[in-house]
Amino acid sequence: MEILAKLAFALYALVIITGAIMAVTAKSLVRALVGLIGVMIGVAGMYLLMAAPFVAFMQILIYVGGVSVLIFFAIMLTKASPDGDESSPNSLRSTLNALVAMLAPGIILSVVILRYPPESFPRPTDVGAFDLGEGMLGPYLLPFELISIILFVAMAGAVLVAWRKWGDK
Amino acid sequence: MPFDVLQFVYLVVAVVAIAAFVAVSALLLVYLERKVAGHIQRRPGPFEVGPHGILQTMADALKLIGKQPFKPDGADSILFWLAPVLAFAPALPLLLPIPFGPLLTGLEVNLGLILILAFSGINVLALCMAGWGSNNKWALLGAARSVAQSVGYEIPLLMSVLAVAFMTGTLNLSQIVADQGPWPWHWNMFTQPLAFFIYFTCAVAETNRAPFDLPEAESELTAGFHTEYSGMGFGLFFLAEYTNMIVVCSVATALFLGGWQAPLLPGFWWFLIKMYLLLLTIMWFRWTYPRLRFDQLLNLNWKWLLPLSLVNLLGTALLMKVF
Repeated sequence: MEILAKLAFALYALVIITGAIMAVTAKSLVRALVGLIGVMIGVAGMYLLMAAPFVAFMQILIYVGGVSVLIFFAIMLTKASPDGDESSPNSLRSTLNALVAMLAPGIILSVVILRYPPESFPRPTDVGAFDLGEGMLGPYLLPFELISIILFVAMAGAVLVAWRKWGDK
Repeated sequence: MPFDVLQFVYLVVAVVAIAAFVAVSALLLVYLERKVAGHIQRRPGPFEVGPHGILQTMADALKLIGKQPFKPDGADSILFWLAPVLAFAPALPLLLPIPFGPLLTGLEVNLGLILILAFSGINVLALCMAGWGSNNKWALLGAARSVAQSVGYEIPLLMSVLAVAFMTGTLNLSQIVADQGPWPWHWNMFTQPLAFFIYFTCAVAETNRAPFDLPEAESELTAGFHTEYSGMGFGLFFLAEYTNMIVVCSVATALFLGGWQAPLLPGFWWFLIKMYLLLLTIMWFRWTYPRLRFDQLLNLNWKWLLPLSLVNLLGTALLMKVF
């Protein structure tokens, strides 16, 4: 089982990294989105591996089934061509900058984690939907409600931005 | 650990059985659909291949397999070929948690209902990819319609399912079926008629069946999102559509019609009978109602189904609290 879990982890990590690279380097917007979807599916797999099936299914339901479809819709409304040359190739300098920006926190975090490994459970404990609901309406009520306010603000902001554009015409 | 090995073997057998069930059902449903369509329109339907045309779908399947898969010029090759695979791939996880009989469940998942709802959303993504990757106006229009439709109709569908989950207090489909009784007045349809109505309407819309078949409206968009697909590319989309029909009807059977619970016959047959009755109802709809216009489609969803399902959910919660 130990080996199987490690294999699964490697597989999901591979999916996530490939997707992420594709999302960043693809010239076409839609291909970048496909990479992003790969990342989301891989992350859902990671949640499953951590014995959090509810979060994993929600990840697929909301991000793969909902958010990415909406992004797709937004792209379809633009005049992007299927050949995909929306972006000009990056200069060497900006590529190097991006690499440094990516590697710096990655290296620091991994060193910190390797030096001071956090205490982990021998096997992850499964938190059922019932406990999850109790938690969200009990001790975590305030953060839960705050998240909905953030979503509301984002939606209101999007409407406001669109409104201004209409006003210009 | 011998127990785990046994479980693994069970899972493999379940997956193979489900794949076989899907393939056979799809063949049967295509034949049934054409026969039903024919008889509703007072014509015999397929009649030449085999007695009463019973081998017609086999011949069609052979033809589809033998055809050359063809990619139009200027299409995005990754998206174009990924789309039909992605449309059909969720079929197996969708059917695994469904209790076909008292002991016939592929995979006992506590969150079975959520699993089904989550994976059924992937289908829209596949339609989007197909529509956009084909580099075709009609395909793009079909995909755009499909998004607006399924994003809208998913909400009342979730709410009507949630009402049942409220009542039973579980998301495990086997548990939901076990809580209902053998006779129709024990079924959830009896206590949640509005939820059943909303669920079924939304399910027809989610599977892109007439009268909600705007994404592939033949008379306006040639074939909508799959205009450019030939051979098994088209075959996979077709298979995916019928699989999705089977899934929504199975879920409706388990949630509202008591699943395998019924008097006399063993459970599995009752499940099949109920499921096929629902499937036939969907086919009947197709030849009864004309296709909706796009504004009618959205009005029906946002002005009627969504408020109704909200009221139903609130009413259910209130009644649960009072009693």
